[in-house]
Amino acid sequence: MTEARSTETAQDVVAELPLIIGCGNLHRGDDAAGMLVAHRLQELGVPARECQGEAMRLMEAWRGCSAVVIIDAVVTGAEAGHIMTWDAHQAPLASGPFRCSSHGFGIAEAIELARTLGRLPPRLTIYGIEGTSFERGAPPSPAVKRAVEAVSQRILHDYRVTLHPRSA
Amino acid sequence: MTTATEPVETKRAAKTIKVDYLARVEGEGSLHIKLQGNRVQDVKFGIFEPPRLFEAFLRGRHFMEAPDITARICGICPIAYQMSSIHALERALGVKVHPAVRMLRRLFYCGEWIESHALHVYLLHAPDFLGYPDALAMAREHRNIVEQGLRLKKIGNELVALLGGREIHPVSACVGGFYKVPAKRDLRRIAGDLEWALEASLATARFVAGLEFPDFEQDYEFVALSHPDEYPLNEGRLVSNKGLDIDAGEYESVFVEQHVRHSNALHSQIRARGSYLVGPLARFNLCYSRLPEIARRTAEECGLRVPCLNPFKSIVVRAVELVFACHEALRLIAAYEPPPAPRVQVEPRGGVGHAATEAPRGILYHRYHVDAGGLILSAQIIPPTSQNQKRIEDDLWHLAPRLTDLSAEEMTWKCEQAIRNYDPCISCATHFLRLHVTRE
Repeated sequence: MTEARSTETAQDVVAELPLIIGCGNLHRGDDAAGMLVAHRLQELGVPARECQGEAMRLMEAWRGCSAVVIIDAVVTGAEAGHIMTWDAHQAPLASGPFRCSSHGFGIAEAIELARTLGRLPPRLTIYGIEGTSFERGAPPSPAVKRAVEAVSQRILHDYRVTLHPRSA
Repeated sequence: MTTATEPVETKRAAKTIKVDYLARVEGEGSLHIKLQGNRVQDVKFGIFEPPRLFEAFLRGRHFMEAPDITARICGICPIAYQMSSIHALERALGVKVHPAVRMLRRLFYCGEWIESHALHVYLLHAPDFLGYPDALAMAREHRNIVEQGLRLKKIGNELVALLGGREIHPVSACVGGFYKVPAKRDLRRIAGDLEWALEASLATARFVAGLEFPDFEQDYEFVALSHPDEYPLNEGRLVSNKGLDIDAGEYESVFVEQHVRHSNALHSQIRARGSYLVGPLARFNLCYSRLPEIARRTAEECGLRVPCLNPFKSIVVRAVELVFACHEALRLIAAYEPPPAPRVQVEPRGGVGHAATEAPRGILYHRYHVDAGGLILSAQIIPPTSQNQKRIEDDLWHLAPRLTDLSAEEMTWKCEQAIRNYDPCISCATHFLRLHVTRE
């Protein structure tokens, strides 16, 4: 009985864990931000996926998930490395800050299309890391690298709280 | 960050249509049209996506690496790149594959056509005809249509993943066959979805046939592969409606590439004749008789006649090709018996091989020169968008004067739509020319 109950509890907890997706392009300067967060989380033992940010693949990836976290580089005019968060359920997401994907159909479009089609996950948080340089083949700027670490630690903290709510 | 600059009207009758970043195309391109009254003074379909240098990457690589390297050229049509490289290398190396492998390759290609055509018909081109700026706006009022397109695309992707190991940049196809082939039961698993996809494609064709098309026809030279028994995918001779009938090995003696200042993709022409059109419209017009009966009947019901000379109707032709691809996939799955071995052993030998296959956007030509040890000495890759570039500009030269009564915004939209008739894949198109610079 005890064993059965503990299994059930573990499954419940696992179901609450977010799907984490880092987006972008590793070979275009600051556009690597989201991917680098995914890599860092993997190093820290947190499952995280990579995606170039194409709308339909994102929608397929989060199908059936109750909580999703997306990380990507953004361009809003802020300083490089500035971190922003959005709750997709709070307001429509403007496509302006996000780098475009194949056919101009990227993260913002994925979220808005999913909202229109009723396919938005119940919880969807987007972390944006301000990028200023997107040169082909260039490394990310130092400020973006620092932001990658900060966002990774924040997601790691939230992940641990979800996994072990009582120890938080 | 897809932004279209507002068209700018300048003094007197001079008008400029300027779009800095074309929307709903793959890659980074622009459009610049200069008019004086009703006369077009200049058209530039600019491609500023940087050169990709894949042909240079291939030099010195072993021939078995080429399909996996070239698959990286495109996320939408990686199979076309794999197939053209595999066929060209197999010709260079004198390889014959088992008939079941040939069928699997055809099935693999059907998956790519389904996902690529569904993406373009529903999400990229249909909004033009229905008056929406994008698929998102269209989805708000036509949710079922967009849902149908997404599901069709997903089925195409699943078929690609089933045969290729994954849906983007698949890894299973190789020179000599496949690294792994599916069991009959694996293919049967997807047949139910393909039955749905066939019905959805028939509905798609009926839907797009009801759209309004500008009255615009051109005297095209259509170029496509032509096979005596099949609608073309992997094999055939290169033919045109103006007398061309050659083997892929003669490609470079007929077609010539030229560098133009405003494009990082080379412009293709037929020597001494000029631009030509590759893609669905060319295949349909040149190979109509080899479509299965269900696709021909659909075309007739949609009001398509051979030759179809209106490029805006390419959306209907793509829908007919969706019907073909789903029907063909089901036929191939029903007939499938796994080959005795996934691939034949291939021994290196020196030689040159050429091949063209039909990517969703049109013929994709590859040539490889391999040394006796199997290393690639040189490679040449000519994608369909690169071939269609000049034809796109020619369309705009003829279309723009007919649009001068429209508002600047409507005129710009119509010109962009004319480019999207070709479903250009700009990133693919930017292959590199060896430039010779002479300084005095």
